[in-house]
Parts: sequence; structure tokens; C-alpha cells
Amino acid sequence: MAVHSQLEYRVNFAIDVLIQPVLSTTIEVTLWMAILTGMGSDTLGGFGREAYLAYALWSTFVGRITTNWMYEFTMIEDIDSGKVNSILVRPISFYEFYLSQFVGYKTICVAMSLVLPLIATYIFKAPLIIERIPLMLASLLYYLVFIHTVSFCVACFAFFISKAQSFTAMKNLAIWILAGELIPLDLYPEPLKSILIHSPFASGVYIPVGYIVGRIDTPLMLQSFVSITLGLACAGALASLLWWRGLKAYTGTGA
Amino acid sequence: MSMSFVIETTDLSRTYKSYRRQEGAWNALKGFFSRQYEFKTALKPTTVRIEPGQIVGLVGANGAGKTTLLKILSGLIFPTSGDVSVLGYKPYERKAEFLRQISILLGQKAQLWWDLPAADSFNLLSNIYSLDQVQAKKDWLMLADRLGCTDQLHTQLRRLSLGERMKMEIIGSLLHRPRILFLDEPTIGLDVLAQSTIRTFLLEYVKEHKPTIILTSHYMDDISRLADRLLLISQGAIVYDGKVENFVRHAEANLNLNLSGEDIDFEQVIHKFFEKESRGSKIGRPLAT
Repeated sequence: MAVHSQLEYRVNFAIDVLIQPVLSTTIEVTLWMAILTGMGSDTLGGFGREAYLAYALWSTFVGRITTNWMYEFTMIEDIDSGKVNSILVRPISFYEFYLSQFVGYKTICVAMSLVLPLIATYIFKAPLIIERIPLMLASLLYYLVFIHTVSFCVACFAFFISKAQSFTAMKNLAIWILAGELIPLDLYPEPLKSILIHSPFASGVYIPVGYIVGRIDTPLMLQSFVSITLGLACAGALASLLWWRGLKAYTGTGA
Repeated sequence: MSMSFVIETTDLSRTYKSYRRQEGAWNALKGFFSRQYEFKTALKPTTVRIEPGQIVGLVGANGAGKTTLLKILSGLIFPTSGDVSVLGYKPYERKAEFLRQISILLGQKAQLWWDLPAADSFNLLSNIYSLDQVQAKKDWLMLADRLGCTDQLHTQLRRLSLGERMKMEIIGSLLHRPRILFLDEPTIGLDVLAQSTIRTFLLEYVKEHKPTIILTSHYMDDISRLADRLLLISQGAIVYDGKVENFVRHAEANLNLNLSGEDIDFEQVIHKFFEKESRGSKIGRPLAT
């Protein structure tokens, strides 16, 4: 359904899948090159210019894949406006309905925009361990389930308050930092560095990107599956609680 | 609860909580720190029993409580108190087996997917209800043919007129052949021709498939042509429960409506009832038939 819906709007789709990633990658690469040039050094935190170039190229790509503001906004809007009614009266769960759309849409995004960082990596001769990409994609897929569950929790607040979209903005800013999209997590001081690297949010950018560009090793990559599982269990329990409480408070808006 | 009824409620009620504030900027600021809430009873303790195959017209003014009752029966909202059983299930538990046997059509709310052509929505619904894809396609093509909307099946829903969209919504709600059909104002806002087409279609569908239908409408033609039982609801309470054709006869005696010497029909009596209700008159004692 996500495929059908998105392909109805060709211009929006092209902007989202192709043009925005190019713009955000350009910003990120320029920023890191400016920082390293300004420092008058070729290394930062033990990693060289090429390592940051590779991280910048791939972090924007992965960050765009793992972010979920669009379907989170839609879920909030559905609850706020009463459009959720059409799901509530059918034998399908609201959670699964949007999870399938979210994963479906992101799969298309990966398929169509993966070529961009690959081309950029080739042009700039940035480091990339290409055989690590399949495990990285598997971890991203698992992370999507976790981040969707977090989004579902945020959306459930729409049962209790109007304009719950402000939670989305707050959550996205927090994840931007926690996932390491803004700054690689290994640049933070201890013990913050260890805490952040072992949180499930690190699997949103830092770990998958670090893994394919050679910044982290396989054991940490595999450990990220455990972190996601724990995060999923916690977010799932919270989602279930908020959903049933929300349904009790729901007034069937708009019907 | 007895299984001879498909719908059974006992002292079912629902109260809504809402935030109340006086007008003006100062009160908006006050409301930011301290809020006043009020509780409104939309549905007073209500006991109703509906047999299989009945077509029940649920009639009342805006805010009378009819949609609230419909929303509880379809599992959209929780009741505040009382018991409810639909096909032996508690609707608010939203069990998949229950949801497969009901359908609700909300005339004021699109339930198909706005960005998709109706045909894609029907295919999606076939998957959701685990229907046989080939048979389901035959069914929705046949329903579209009977409603005269085959040409619009492959047009994005948002680009259809209200009447065309409503026909698609009806097809979507009937695709899985529900045993109970909740129709909330299915002809609202439609032109006379579209209203007539939908009424005729529903009449034929009812004859063929014999579902139990709970129908709300502000068009009394819908009620008089389709319903064989009338539930009149006023200020959250049922004030008449009986046959549609008996309503006019009983209205004067039991609902304090003065109809003496007038040769009026069902629709006019209902209008008089609403007029009296809007003036705040006390409605007569609840009627049993």
C-alpha cells in the first residue's frame, strides 16, 4: 500500500528519495571537511579525513532510512482526526498497519537511493567494506521495527492531548544526537560514550555506518541486535499500555 | 446474555469529559494553568435487544446519542458503564473474529484510502479480511455494477464526487459480507438521485443477504423505506422502540405531540418531535411496544 500511495505522487517521491539525500549529504560532508580544515589537523579522535568523509556520506543515507517522522505524523493525525476509526473496525492492528507501510516505503527508499552513497564513495575513494552491507541492511530492518514502536508510543499520546506532533519534533532531535547522526558516538567522553553506544538508538546510524566504513568491528555490530531487542521489549510494553489506555479515553472523534 | 439476540445491551451508558473555558485571552491564559472539565452524558443507561435480520432505524436530533450508541456497538469506543454484547462478543475488546462479522459505514468519514483508487482499496480489504481474491474481485465488480460506479473504480478516491465516494464506501463495507452492518448517515449530503440509488441498492442487498442493520439518518425516507423497527433517541435515552408504521399512531398519545386533526406522515411527526425537543419540552414517557 505504501508503494502504491507513494508512487501516486512522483515529484514528492523523487524529492524524498533522491534530491533530499543529495542535499543533506552535501551539507554533512562540507561540515566535517570544514571542521577538520579549521582544526588544522588530518585526524580527529583517532580517525582521519577519509573516515569522516565516509561516515558523513553514509550517515545521512542511513539516518534518512531510519527516521520516522512521516508515518508518525500520519498516525498522530489519524488519531487526532478520527481516521483511526477505519482501522479500529477492521481485523487489523493499527500498529501492524503502519509498520507494514513504514517498512515497505523504507525498502523502496533503500532500493532507489542506495546507489547515491555508493557512487559518492567511489568518486571520493572513501573507505567502505562492501561485504558488510548485507548485515548492515538486516540490522536496519530490525531497527525499523524498534523505531516504529517508539513512534507508535508517541502517536498514542494523541489519544490524550491535541497536537501531539510537538512530541515528534522533540523525539527526532533527541534521536539525531543519540543515534550519532550529528556526531559519531565515539567522540563523546566516557561514560557517556559507552552508554550511548550500547543504547538501541546507536543502531539507527552510528553502528551500521561505523560497521561498513570500518569504524567498529563485528562483535559490536552483533551486540546491537541485543540492544535493539531489549529496546523493542521496553517500547512494546509501553506501546501496549498507552494504546489500551488511549482506547479507553478515545471518543471516536469525527464520527 | 441470550444468544437469540445478535445485539444486547443492559444499562449501557457513556459519558464524555471535555475541557471548558470562557472566551478571551485572559481566560486562555488561566486555562493554561488550571482547567475546568465538565462531564456530559451522551448515552443514559440503555437496554436494547435486537434480533437477527432486523433493520433498526436509529433516529434522533444531533447530539441525541445515536452515534455514541453506534460507536459502542461497533467497538470504536468503550462504554462508561453497563453491559454490551454483539454476536456474543464484547465489541470494545475488538477481537478479530468479531470484527470480521461487522461493518460500519460512517457517512461523514472516509474509510477507504484517500490516495488509492477504490479497486486497490478493495484488494487491500480482501487481504485484511482474508477473502478469496478471485471471488472478492467478482463481488466488488458486481456491487460496483449494481451501484453504477464501475467507471470510477480506478480513479483515486480523493478525486471522486461525494456520491461516487459513498458508493465506493458502501462496496468496501459489504465486501466481507458482514452479519451486522452499522450505517451512520449513509446518504448524508447526497443529491436526490444518489440517495435513491443507494436506498434501492440497500433494499435489494438486505433481501438477498439478510444482515442485521442499524441505520441512523436524518433523512426520514431512509428510515421509512428501509427500517422495520424504529428506535427514537432523545437526550441520551430511548423514548420510542417499535414498528415504524405504528410510530405515527402512538406519537400523539405517548410523546406529548399535538397532532389533532392533522393528516401527517412519519417524516412530519419526526420533525414535530425534533421541534419540540429543540424547544426544551419534556418528551413523553419511554414507550414499549
